Amino acid sequence: MKKIYSVLFTFLIAIAAFGQETFPVNGTTNKIHTTYAFTNANIVVSADETIANATLLIKDGIIIGAGTKVSIPKGCAVYDLKGKSIYPAFIDAYTSYGVADSKGIPKTSPGPQMESNIKGAYGWNQAVKAEVDAYKLFNDNSSAAEEMRKLGFGSVLTFQKDGIVRGSAVVVSLADGKENNLIIADKAAAMLSFDKGTSSQDYPSSLMGAIALLRQTYLDANWYKTDKTKKEYNISLDAFNNLQTLPQIFETTDKLSALRADKIGDEFKTKYIIKGCGNEYQRLDDIKATNCKFIIPLNFPAAFDVEDAYDATNISLTELKQWEMAPVNAFALEKNYIPFAITTADLKDKKDFWKNLRKAITYGLSEQQALKSLTTIPAEMLNVSDKIGSLKTGMIASFIITSGNLFDEKTIIYENWIQGIPYKINDYNTIDVRGVYNFSYQDKRLYELKIEGEIEKLKATVLIDTTKTPVNITVTGNNVSLSFTPKDIAGTIRLSGNISTDPIRMSGKGQTPEGDWIDWSAVFKSTNTTTVKKDSAKKQPSFGKVIYPFCAYGKPHEEEVGFIKEKIKEFKNPYDAILIKHVTVWTNEQEGVLKNQDVYITEGRIVRIDGDINAPKTAFAKVIDGTGKHLTAGIIDEHSHIAISNGVNEGTQASSAEVRIGDVITSEDINIYRQLSGGVTSAQLLHGSANPIGGQSAIIKLRWGKSPEEMKFEKADGYIKFALGENVKQSNWGDFNTVRFPQSRMGVEQVYYDYFTRAKEYDAKQKAFGAMSDKEKASGTPFRRDLELEALAEILNKKRFITCHSYVQSEINMLMHVGDSMGFQVNTFTHILEGYKVADKMKARNIGGSTFSDWWAYKMEVKEAIPYNASLMNQMGIVTAINSDDAEMGRRLNQEAAKSVKYGGTSEEDALKMVTLNPAKLLHIDKKVGSIKVGKDADVVLWSDNPLSVYAKVEKTIVDGVIYFDNEEDVKMRIEIQKERARIIQKMLDEKKGGAPVVKPMPKKQKLYGCDDMEVDYMNE
Amino acid sequence: MNGIAHLGTDSVIQNSLIGIKDGKITLLADATTAKIDRAAYEEVIDATGKNIYPGFIAPNSTLGLTEIEAVRATNDFREIGSTLPNIRSIIAYNTDSKIIPTVRTNGILMAQITPRGGMVSGTSSIVVLDGWNWEDAAYKIDDGIHINWPNMVGRKALDEDNGTFGPYEKNKEYIKQTNELKKLFDDAKAYSETEIKEEKNLRMESMKGIFNGTQTLYIHSNDVKEIVEAVNFVKKYELKRVVLVGGKDSWLVTDLLKQNNIAVMVSRTHDLPQYPEDDVDLPYKLPYLLQKAGVQFCLNNEGGMEAAGARNLPFLAGTAAAYGLTKEQAVKSITLSTAKMLGIDKTTGSIEVGKDATLFISNGDALDMRTNNVEKAFIKGKSIDLDNEQKALYLKYKNKYGLK
Repeated sequence: MKKIYSVLFTFLIAIAAFGQETFPVNGTTNKIHTTYAFTNANIVVSADETIANATLLIKDGIIIGAGTKVSIPKGCAVYDLKGKSIYPAFIDAYTSYGVADSKGIPKTSPGPQMESNIKGAYGWNQAVKAEVDAYKLFNDNSSAAEEMRKLGFGSVLTFQKDGIVRGSAVVVSLADGKENNLIIADKAAAMLSFDKGTSSQDYPSSLMGAIALLRQTYLDANWYKTDKTKKEYNISLDAFNNLQTLPQIFETTDKLSALRADKIGDEFKTKYIIKGCGNEYQRLDDIKATNCKFIIPLNFPAAFDVEDAYDATNISLTELKQWEMAPVNAFALEKNYIPFAITTADLKDKKDFWKNLRKAITYGLSEQQALKSLTTIPAEMLNVSDKIGSLKTGMIASFIITSGNLFDEKTIIYENWIQGIPYKINDYNTIDVRGVYNFSYQDKRLYELKIEGEIEKLKATVLIDTTKTPVNITVTGNNVSLSFTPKDIAGTIRLSGNISTDPIRMSGKGQTPEGDWIDWSAVFKSTNTTTVKKDSAKKQPSFGKVIYPFCAYGKPHEEEVGFIKEKIKEFKNPYDAILIKHVTVWTNEQEGVLKNQDVYITEGRIVRIDGDINAPKTAFAKVIDGTGKHLTAGIIDEHSHIAISNGVNEGTQASSAEVRIGDVITSEDINIYRQLSGGVTSAQLLHGSANPIGGQSAIIKLRWGKSPEEMKFEKADGYIKFALGENVKQSNWGDFNTVRFPQSRMGVEQVYYDYFTRAKEYDAKQKAFGAMSDKEKASGTPFRRDLELEALAEILNKKRFITCHSYVQSEINMLMHVGDSMGFQVNTFTHILEGYKVADKMKARNIGGSTFSDWWAYKMEVKEAIPYNASLMNQMGIVTAINSDDAEMGRRLNQEAAKSVKYGGTSEEDALKMVTLNPAKLLHIDKKVGSIKVGKDADVVLWSDNPLSVYAKVEKTIVDGVIYFDNEEDVKMRIEIQKERARIIQKMLDEKKGGAPVVKPMPKKQKLYGCDDMEVDYMNE
Repeated sequence: MNGIAHLGTDSVIQNSLIGIKDGKITLLADATTAKIDRAAYEEVIDATGKNIYPGFIAPNSTLGLTEIEAVRATNDFREIGSTLPNIRSIIAYNTDSKIIPTVRTNGILMAQITPRGGMVSGTSSIVVLDGWNWEDAAYKIDDGIHINWPNMVGRKALDEDNGTFGPYEKNKEYIKQTNELKKLFDDAKAYSETEIKEEKNLRMESMKGIFNGTQTLYIHSNDVKEIVEAVNFVKKYELKRVVLVGGKDSWLVTDLLKQNNIAVMVSRTHDLPQYPEDDVDLPYKLPYLLQKAGVQFCLNNEGGMEAAGARNLPFLAGTAAAYGLTKEQAVKSITLSTAKMLGIDKTTGSIEVGKDATLFISNGDALDMRTNNVEKAFIKGKSIDLDNEQKALYLKYKNKYGLK
């Protein structure tokens, strides 16, 4: 057995051997080319190949042989690793190791910053930092490296974590020394995210803005590549193009943003490697469908302190379940054959890495997969599998020496060799003295001595009669010392001695409290008996079911039990038809209100409406008694801001026509369910009203539980939000917001003229370019696609329709005139509180109005808003709707519609149409929804009373023939939620009792958007 | 004559006779049994099939203190400083506010004009929604003092300019703030008991009423823990009249509220539940939960756009009726219960002989927006004008377009 100093000795030599070829030497040169042989080891070449009793041979930092038939040359340092294992050192594909944080460029004034602060021939947006190369920024950082080496890592991908486009990342080894020797692959990957980082520039201020920026960057870079004139030199775009040959790694902070990233990738024919966040299991089928590789963290949330029942209400069901299920994420990915690497990223304390990895393994992750995810998979991702990740001849000698199976709790990592340089973590020469001994001292009586714990932190006890006495034990090399205070003696006995091995025996001399010298010995009897405990620990812990969406009132998919099913089944209804009997039907058609009708629904459609229908025997129909109840078409909210992630406004520029709400729909907003409870079945999710030309809206059906893409209304026309008045001129935004154009209604008009003039020119160019032959296209000046102008050109080509936020008559009149002269028509004026003053003009142009029932007096521009507006517009023959713009009011839109009966005497049928058929017309979806008619979508609501009455309650809300809100089911779910919460809370309490750290619960603001909401920090809402 | 009289007392007379003289109700009877001398009345109104209600009362309102919220010049509901018991809302109450006529059109005939902001916002007063000036309109001047119980957790503004907030964090000032309140109350109590004042203190003077029972202390609080703290705070001072305003979590502490005889003025129930896990209709059924537990309560419309939205108070009661209350209990929650809490129930708040003739006739159920149709309204016996500028604009444009 080698002594410690010999290890230290080799360490020093190795460092010296690692010189730089081109550097001058101060002193005598000291080049060393020793060959090292590791014999009798269990060599894990990779997760798929293990060679027992083999030899590993390395020289100059490279593996020159691995196997059982390797012959050991003469003049070679040999290490006998009998009983020990060698593993490839780990690779972390997501770190910022050795790369300093970007400080960014501070803002120069407190107002808006419209342009980039970066000086030089760079791109227009500060968040696109394609030109950053991490290999140029990389500095060796020994303390950070040591922390990673201790965990078993040998190399990492590192980059500067700043911006939406973050430039290139470098693969470096975790050895210490001159950077010149540490870089394994200089430009290993291109890094992307949705987070604008330190950019002080206003744009983008929302997630959809970040997505739009990225999209336009792809297009611009492509244009830049083909444009040979290079009138504009652009370092950022040039660098962006150069990044495209590399693996593309995209950081996401939520399962849904992983899906968003993948969608962008599809658009630009790029398959991203997605840096996940650990909740991918919550939408596993969609995650799998991306076909992306993932890099996942092991940052499991800490338990909350739930002892105070009131405080605990601040913890959402989502958080409780995430706490319970986070460790199962890796297993879920593995079970579904989603390739993934494991990273230490996002861990608050890197020391938790092993604890969490082992936890993931107890939750089902296989050891083989764990090893792959830490070695070969990241190596392949980064195209360095010929250099690192396994132990094959010719590869870099980066490996770890362990006491046994790497993933066993008791296994010790002894050494981490990186590029042929050893880093000692634990001394394998230390004798493992753990076990049970026959122990005697002084009077030769035999006691039982038990030594357990970690090698570095041994714990020992001696059993004297029936009393367990703790023993302090220190092992240094072959020296051992013990001290303890037996019950029967006053004072402490101190013993010192020598350890001999095979079998272990300790013996020597010591002193009693009185100072008498005595002899002692301890003879190895048996190993610690903890096998029974180990078996129970290996059992997969229980955890709840995934619910869709992953929040309160979400439901589990049928038949799916904790990922045991290899493929998650589509959610299926327990019925395939619905028959509602004896109900009063508000048809919204010529038939008007029909009493005592039966309505039959199947395959998502209304199939029959008749006096008496019997359900066909072939179908399993759910029969609902509608006696005394009312059935209406589902409510359609023309103006909603629910179900939107990370910012509703990209109000940083006068126009943001390029941003799309459709990019940022979230399926996990409780307000979807709440709106369903108020009978809403479809909604237009609008961009806010911070700028004259806002973003593109999304029309959704409230399919609670489905993914964002599945919620989109099929084949709906595209819409865009425009806005007029105080919001766009920033009247109520405080004294600093006096920079962005426009600041008056006069300026607003010019914004429109300017943009539409440019859009017309763009449209002509695009059409001309489109008409060219491929040859002409290739030889001529390339056409630069501009997504902002393209959206406006779509308006001119009647492929996109305007919903315009508006209040006072002057501006409404203005926009109608702009439209007349530029050749477009506003589809809908929304809010339109002075619509009654220009109703004749709107009617003449066939423009619809979607208004509030009775809001007024909150801003100067609504001083003359009157609750009679809807009735007046309706009387004038305008398609009139009543909208919410408010998550709370959205679930009482029937009440709001009823106000037009009160104010202005609209008939009840017409009033109901204002929240059903009329918004359907305004959204061009009235062929499918908005009335109860055979053949239309079965989007209907069953009410307890006249739907316009304040006393009416929703009993069932049906979308596509599926009951998404059921008042009876709702009551059951409340109990389920309570039970599920209680179950997990009990578990958390146990965790706290077990001494685990806990976090104090804090309330969280529900994110509710209105038109005026601007994000300051859109990634941290 | 012959109207369906909802008395505000949780009872109804299907076919009623109501007599008014000198601003007071002098007769209340069942028309099916009682006979009256028609000649004794100057005017007889046939209300057959129509609904008669006591004037609805909008407590905790900024009506008349603001005209257009976004225009700073029109806002008079908040003063600078955190303990301002001597601030009086009545003198800023603008009887000519264009909002007021739109509110009474829906049956709201009285209001408690209440200042906002700070820890002690100031003193409210009760008005009738008619009058040439605030002196005219005043019904009970300086009826009570409003305090906002400090929050235990809060969010700091990230950007003063556009009002975005950071994450919730523990309010580190909480102990300091509650101690400040405690000192204020200790001083005020001592002051109120001192016969010869060394120096007159306006703040202390203004608080005397809450200690001698002539004024009510309104504590605004929503969070359950804060409510518990607030209740225990006031207990020490043995105040006769304490009302909890807001009370989102009040259903969790009904026993505590009952034991301490504290009524709840429930803020706008057309609201979203606080937590995703909450029952989706929790705000709607909050009045019912309090009713069931036997806690005194009434409704108010505090919240965004509150002054302009004050006219929707009846529909909050309507929703409460849809979610558990009986319709008459719902009426009571915006009439007599409110009057009791405001300390004006001896003279108003219900249709009872001897009380003010502040009532209205609606052709239809006034709690339902579909049928709320106020045809005639009386404040202290005086018939009031039910027109407003919105109606005028409506007629003007109807006329312009030649619509019927």
